[in-house]
Amino acid sequence: MLGFVVRRAATSILLLVAASVLVFVILRLLPGDPIITRLGATAGANPEAIDQLRREAGLDDPILQQYLDWIGGVLTGDFGQSYFSQFSVTDLIGRRIGATLELTAVSILFSLLIAVPAAVFCALRRGSWLDRLVTTGSTVGMALPQFLLGILLILVFAVELRWLPARGYVPFVDDPGENVRRMVLPALTLAIAAAPLILRYLRASMIEVLDSSYIRTAEGKGVPHRRVVVAHALRNALIPGLTMLGMVVGYTLGGVVIVEYVFGIPGLGSLAVESVFKRDYAVLQSVVLLISALFILTTLAVDLLYGVLDPRLRNGGARG
Amino acid sequence: MTTDTVLDVRDLRVAFGPVEPVRGVSFELRRGERLGLVGESGSGKSLTALAVMRLARRATLRGEVLLEGRDLLRLKPREMEKVRGGRVAMVYQDPMSALNPVYTVGRQLEEAIRLHTRADRRAARERAVELLDDVGVPHPRQRVDQYPHEFSGGMRQRVMIAMAMCADPAVLICDEPTTALDVTTQARIMDLLDRLVEEHGTAVVLITHDLGVAAGFCDAIQVMYGGRIVERAEAERLYRAPVHPYSEALLGAAVDLSLELGVPIPTIGGAPPLAGELPSGCSFHPRCPVARDVCRAELPALEPLSGRSVACHLAAERAATFEESDVPV
Amino acid sequence: MASPALSLGARFSARRRAPRHGSRTTIAAVTVLALIVLLCVVGPWLAQDPSAIDNANRFASPSGAHLFGTDELGRDLFARLVDGGRISLAIGAGATAVSMLLGALWGFAAALGRGLLDELLMRLADVTMAIPQLLFALVFVAAFGASTAGLALIIGILLTPVTARMVRSAVLGELQSDYTQAALAYGATRTRLVLREVLPNISAPLGVQAAINAANAIILEAALSFVGLGVQPPEASWGTLLQQGYQKMYLSTTGVIFPALAIFLTIWMLNLLADQLGGTDDLRGRAG
Repeated sequence: MLGFVVRRAATSILLLVAASVLVFVILRLLPGDPIITRLGATAGANPEAIDQLRREAGLDDPILQQYLDWIGGVLTGDFGQSYFSQFSVTDLIGRRIGATLELTAVSILFSLLIAVPAAVFCALRRGSWLDRLVTTGSTVGMALPQFLLGILLILVFAVELRWLPARGYVPFVDDPGENVRRMVLPALTLAIAAAPLILRYLRASMIEVLDSSYIRTAEGKGVPHRRVVVAHALRNALIPGLTMLGMVVGYTLGGVVIVEYVFGIPGLGSLAVESVFKRDYAVLQSVVLLISALFILTTLAVDLLYGVLDPRLRNGGARG
Repeated sequence: MTTDTVLDVRDLRVAFGPVEPVRGVSFELRRGERLGLVGESGSGKSLTALAVMRLARRATLRGEVLLEGRDLLRLKPREMEKVRGGRVAMVYQDPMSALNPVYTVGRQLEEAIRLHTRADRRAARERAVELLDDVGVPHPRQRVDQYPHEFSGGMRQRVMIAMAMCADPAVLICDEPTTALDVTTQARIMDLLDRLVEEHGTAVVLITHDLGVAAGFCDAIQVMYGGRIVERAEAERLYRAPVHPYSEALLGAAVDLSLELGVPIPTIGGAPPLAGELPSGCSFHPRCPVARDVCRAELPALEPLSGRSVACHLAAERAATFEESDVPV
Repeated sequence: MASPALSLGARFSARRRAPRHGSRTTIAAVTVLALIVLLCVVGPWLAQDPSAIDNANRFASPSGAHLFGTDELGRDLFARLVDGGRISLAIGAGATAVSMLLGALWGFAAALGRGLLDELLMRLADVTMAIPQLLFALVFVAAFGASTAGLALIIGILLTPVTARMVRSAVLGELQSDYTQAALAYGATRTRLVLREVLPNISAPLGVQAAINAANAIILEAALSFVGLGVQPPEASWGTLLQQGYQKMYLSTTGVIFPALAIFLTIWMLNLLADQLGGTDDLRGRAG
């Protein structure tokens, strides 16, 4: 088991490093020069000032040096200095990561709350009109990109019904009520977008499990129906569904970017978008790295969770 | 029905929509009696067992199944849950997949124990260890915390038997308990069953297509064909004198190793009928070597004949033939 | 940000399944898509001038004169939509082409190369897939800017790793079957094998992947344009139109609804097509 953990962790770290290199390299391939872009408005800027700024930003150093400086900083929690604002990247990230984490966590929670019971329900009543309705609904739902869904929800709940605010964010510590009010639509957007994925997968898994011999054994023992469904069937059906959870988190993290934009939430996603506009690569590379790290870590957690949930994997045994 | 009867099945019918794979099965089981249910695949024997346990999903059940006087078919689901695994239990034919892979064997045993007895966790665990020991699992104290995938097929079947017997049921139904196991293990499992039911006085319904196993274990044997019982007799008498042509064919089809090499192994020509496409009259007539017109026209009822029951228009004639040859029928 | 379920579906359909040609859904999907393409190709000639400003008629509701109403400058929305559709569809098609071509090359190289080349290429794919797609798109746009052709290229490159994975597994599957072994035994060269034997046989999963890629490309372009990092003014794609409508949402909902509908419809039809071509499991219940 320990070997498994170590190996997976090592792969994750390598993956993260490789991703950071990839992002870094691509950003450095750009033809322009961020400093010039920034000062571009002020025509005829002092060449010495330009050089000074470039030196400060470390843009004169060899690429490898720049990369190592960046990564070295990241490991100590210093993400570098923004090209365009007086705040350090760390500051910027620090101020915005809360919103993103909250949004991601709440969305995933919502999507599970929606999808898991629905999947169990559909699997138990396979072929019924309700089952068909739900599955058709999820096919259509999967065709709806997150930002379209977000806009739709805003149209209905904010513009037409005026029940909820369309945009904005208030930190939880400042005003829990407002925070929740503003979180509902964006979290729902991501949740509804991700739920069909979970539902489709879990439903199929559940149907397969419900046909297994051990379910019949449990029923034959006189285990009450609810317990059979949850403790015996769902417990087994969730295992392959874990891979789906990894994908869902990835999908949600990716969606966070656009959903934050749609709903005006000051999180990492909107920070990334802003930094592209400003050509502020110092910020962009760190934000992308951070979000990718979150994704990779979640996949790692999912894999490790597999080991916990499926005893057949623990002693290096094959699955199934 | 005497007070000694633990299971009384009356005209049990199992249907899936228009198809009726079990059409009117009736039998009685007394305390401690061992009844074999024999037939080819598709005869409806497994379905009969599942129906008694009400484990046949999406099936419509008709008739009566009286377990110690209570009609199981009339019970509410909750009440049936209490009966299952408690007063009547089942052992299945696929030990490899019949245990939940994510829970330890001990936990699964404890679950059964706590459902039907008043044991708390610690007592249940002790009982689980005892049960494992009783069914012949070595090092029970260690193995109780192991997962099913760490057990061999034979061991898993022992665990299944332990689970079935944990609440001392009145009736134990064994659906081909040894089919998936190798020959040596088969013998051991049958020995185990033999000892356990003897000790507890459990009535047994043994479903099998293996006549050897049935012969060694059962007191009486019922032969099923086309969803009905076609013959019922004490084991010995059936083997000596099978009256129904199908029983005779089945016995003849059992491979006799003393047959000479050049002699073809006798088989029953044709294939068992599908539940939805039963022949008219007696379902066996297309494959029956002595079928007559009446067989094609009328479905023979299961009638008593000298202490056994046969569903064949030619039963009396055939019984007479045996008697003439001095074989006690 | 593109639907991973679609990618999963692609992975499933790398195993050969009989495509359900001629089913009603396929016909419906193809028809709708053809209609959309037709409208966008021919429409601009028939419709009004998309840049004709008419301040007297701002935010008009749909009517005979203006099929979908007008936007904040009185411009005919229908005209803008079909005009914008040209760009969106062009980028979508371009990106699909790029991703299929590069993905096929990458996948074939990995499958035929085996060993180290395979490992390297696949690890590279893993790395790119560790970064959420839209974010990665942002990186590219930051580095290379956003022109129509550029966007097609960038999005195409983004969709390449998933395509490569699928091609690789499809090719590996074919390489293990009897007919390829037979062909090799007859002395076929690998190139000949690939072009004449394998490629035609994986055309079905390739078709599915193309449909999926097209859908994802439309999504990505719309998303990028929506945040302002895609198609730049004065040109307008569906995503840009969506954003413009979104800014003025409280004043007029048509400005948002119609671009959204156009995007959604196109994606939905492509999804249906992908499902049909791949012959995925009927969601209405599996046997057994």
